[in-house]
Amino acid sequence: MPQSRDIGIRSGTSAPRPSFHLPRLAKEKRRLLIDRMIAVILVIVLWQACSTYFGSIWFSSPWRVLMGFIGELRNGDLVFNAEYTLKAAFYGALLGGVPGALLPFVLRRHPVAGAILDPYLAGGYGVPKLALAPLFILWFGIDLEPKVALVASIVSFLVFFSTNAGVSAVNAQYVNMVRVFGAKERDIARHVVWPGAIPYIFAGFRIAAPYSIGAAVVGELISSNRGLGFMINSGATDFDTTLVFVALVTLTLLVVIINLLVSRAERWLLRWRPPQQGMSARVVGT
Amino acid sequence: MLEVKDLAKRFPPRSSDEEAPWILADLSFHVGEGEFLTMVGPSGAGKSTLLNIIAQVDNATGGEVYFRGQLIETASGAALNPGWNCQIGYVTQDDNLLPWRTLIDNVTFPLKLQGRFDGAAKRRVDELLHATNLAGFERYYPHELSGGMRKRASLIRTLAYDPPIILMDEPFGAVDAQTRTQLQQDLLRLWNLGRKTIVFVTHDIGEAISLGDRVLVLSKSPAKIIAAHSITIKRPRDLGNLYKLEGFGDMFEAVRREIQ
Amino acid sequence: MSVAVLRALPGRRSRRRLVPLGRIALGIAFLALWQFGSNAMGATWLPGPVDTIERIWKLAVSGELERDTLVTLGEAAAGMAIGGAAGAALPFLLRLSPRLMATLDPLISAAFGLPKLALAPLFILWFGIGIPTKIVFVASIVFFLIFYNGLAGILSIDPRLVAMLRVAGASEWLVSREIVWNTAKPFLFAGLKIALPRALSGAVVGEFIAADSGLGWYIQNARSLNDTTGVVAGAVIVTVLVIGINAALKRVQSRSLAWRPVSRDMTI
Repeated sequence: MPQSRDIGIRSGTSAPRPSFHLPRLAKEKRRLLIDRMIAVILVIVLWQACSTYFGSIWFSSPWRVLMGFIGELRNGDLVFNAEYTLKAAFYGALLGGVPGALLPFVLRRHPVAGAILDPYLAGGYGVPKLALAPLFILWFGIDLEPKVALVASIVSFLVFFSTNAGVSAVNAQYVNMVRVFGAKERDIARHVVWPGAIPYIFAGFRIAAPYSIGAAVVGELISSNRGLGFMINSGATDFDTTLVFVALVTLTLLVVIINLLVSRAERWLLRWRPPQQGMSARVVGT
Repeated sequence: MLEVKDLAKRFPPRSSDEEAPWILADLSFHVGEGEFLTMVGPSGAGKSTLLNIIAQVDNATGGEVYFRGQLIETASGAALNPGWNCQIGYVTQDDNLLPWRTLIDNVTFPLKLQGRFDGAAKRRVDELLHATNLAGFERYYPHELSGGMRKRASLIRTLAYDPPIILMDEPFGAVDAQTRTQLQQDLLRLWNLGRKTIVFVTHDIGEAISLGDRVLVLSKSPAKIIAAHSITIKRPRDLGNLYKLEGFGDMFEAVRREIQ
Repeated sequence: MSVAVLRALPGRRSRRRLVPLGRIALGIAFLALWQFGSNAMGATWLPGPVDTIERIWKLAVSGELERDTLVTLGEAAAGMAIGGAAGAALPFLLRLSPRLMATLDPLISAAFGLPKLALAPLFILWFGIGIPTKIVFVASIVFFLIFYNGLAGILSIDPRLVAMLRVAGASEWLVSREIVWNTAKPFLFAGLKIALPRALSGAVVGEFIAADSGLGWYIQNARSLNDTTGVVAGAVIVTVLVIGINAALKRVQSRSLAWRPVSRDMTI
């Protein structure tokens, strides 16, 4: 059965990523900033070089992509398609995430049911939902619905296991304490289990966020006439690499922004938490 | 008010062929109304287990507990009623403040849970906050408060809803000496206001003698009461100058020898 | 896990015996519901378990199953090897230059932000619709997973251990081998465990988009022919494959990482 540690380690885009020891001295900070700017410039130069050398049809070029990006924004196409993808991701995340977050609380009161479901949940988690995308399309059509279903199927398991870890990790001392104060089962769930599980629910959504966008895009790649996935596909089919890169860049931006928003929301909601240790570690040799 | 008779406790063995050791055996004592009873024993003697059983957080393997004449705990395996309908308060070793609630939310939590947070209760809470120098910190989260402040908050959280008897499990253990003396003085002052019944458990002999009306000495595991002393030192007691108080030295020695 | 769950259950023994019975009952109920649904809605919309198994059997007999499975597995394996090797090596190399690591940090974050699956059409543009495309695709997915985990492992090295070894006169090579490799190993294994099923589903998804062979191609092809039974059969085959690989991996992992204390720090 996947443990919460599996979920944490494999996520490639969630916020508490291994982070580096940030320099404290102003001099070091400045050097880092310069280093980073140089790195970005190098990437752009390299890109342009590849484009000139191999032909811009394979890579497009930084300038073209920038112009294309602005153009697509202006003519409304980008917003339209991005909206479509976001809609699928958002609705799917809600549809899957809410039941996924609530189920552990129900199972907590009915541990026998939880034990019975355990292997099925683990199995369901192991099923590769993306590989079942054509099935969803077959059943739900080619519009938004199959993508929402696909995203929901993925997010539900992620959020469930994450929340479950939180519900299981409930602090028994708090439960006893609150019982001594006269709390009944419902009070315990409301005042101890629920607040304690919120960080885990958030982590579940945070981890699920990039997957929900990714799943929406995959759904579009397989069959769609709208969305960022569709943009990528049609761009590739027409050998319009610029369009493809514009869509890819937009996707990356979206994911980064969503991550930021979720982290921000999490930090506000969880301001009662003592400063976390997280997964930061020092850079060796510094 | 509280009577414990031949209490015995052991935890179920890990494997079926082991015999689990007895933690408590033939433990008997009583507490009178308004009495400040302290219990001293070596660490690990089962003091927390004893309090857990009285507070109905854990069940006994043998013996009985009576509260105000009523039988509240036997080894029969009946369902536990933690806190016995909010009659038995319990201040644990860890402050156990809910980290997602502010100070004031934590302190008023039991009152609100019991639906007793009215004007009089609010006034009492304010008094308690002022008495323990916590006024002004109501909106802070536990992780922003010092260890001593959290202990005080945990203390007044239970005092606020005014249970007739309060159990305390080494509440001042994990705090530095200065803060501990301060907390002890606060506790005595608050106790004076209401003369509640308190059962205070500690491993610090000096603390037990300086706070209590009566000291019970616990043996090592399996724990039982091996001695009882009435403290004759008059109240109010000057906790800063304990060792100069009359009779303190002899009492200390006597208890120390018993604990060996 | 299930044993621990059983033991932790409150209540008497009769309740515990209920659990395995309940599981079997649930499984049977699921199959029955499936078959019932199929009868009610018609096999063209929802083929039942019987139809599905029939089709799988037919595919196995005709050799199609073997051929397509091997194609997909091959793509996944090759992609794993390439992506895994690169993803595992890079953190070790990066470690040698802390300045480079710090510099690249935000770029790496951004790169993680992109769903690799979105790159499929680009790869097809670059490499065509043949098998190499799928291999590159899988490699890119696996690379990021292993790299992320390897990086986490490298960053979790206790610098005091390194300092201690250096003080004792150890060379860089020895430090790498003893501390760096051993600290990073569990992280890499964790990454591997996640990456393998991902590699497989990545290969399948790649085949959805453009291919002429493989399990993904079979499923997509069936869909275009409205051959629902084919789609479901293909989906079942892929599912069984992935679950089988997961189970095998679990067994391998418990043996090779037996020395590690169960750590709770690798959590969310």
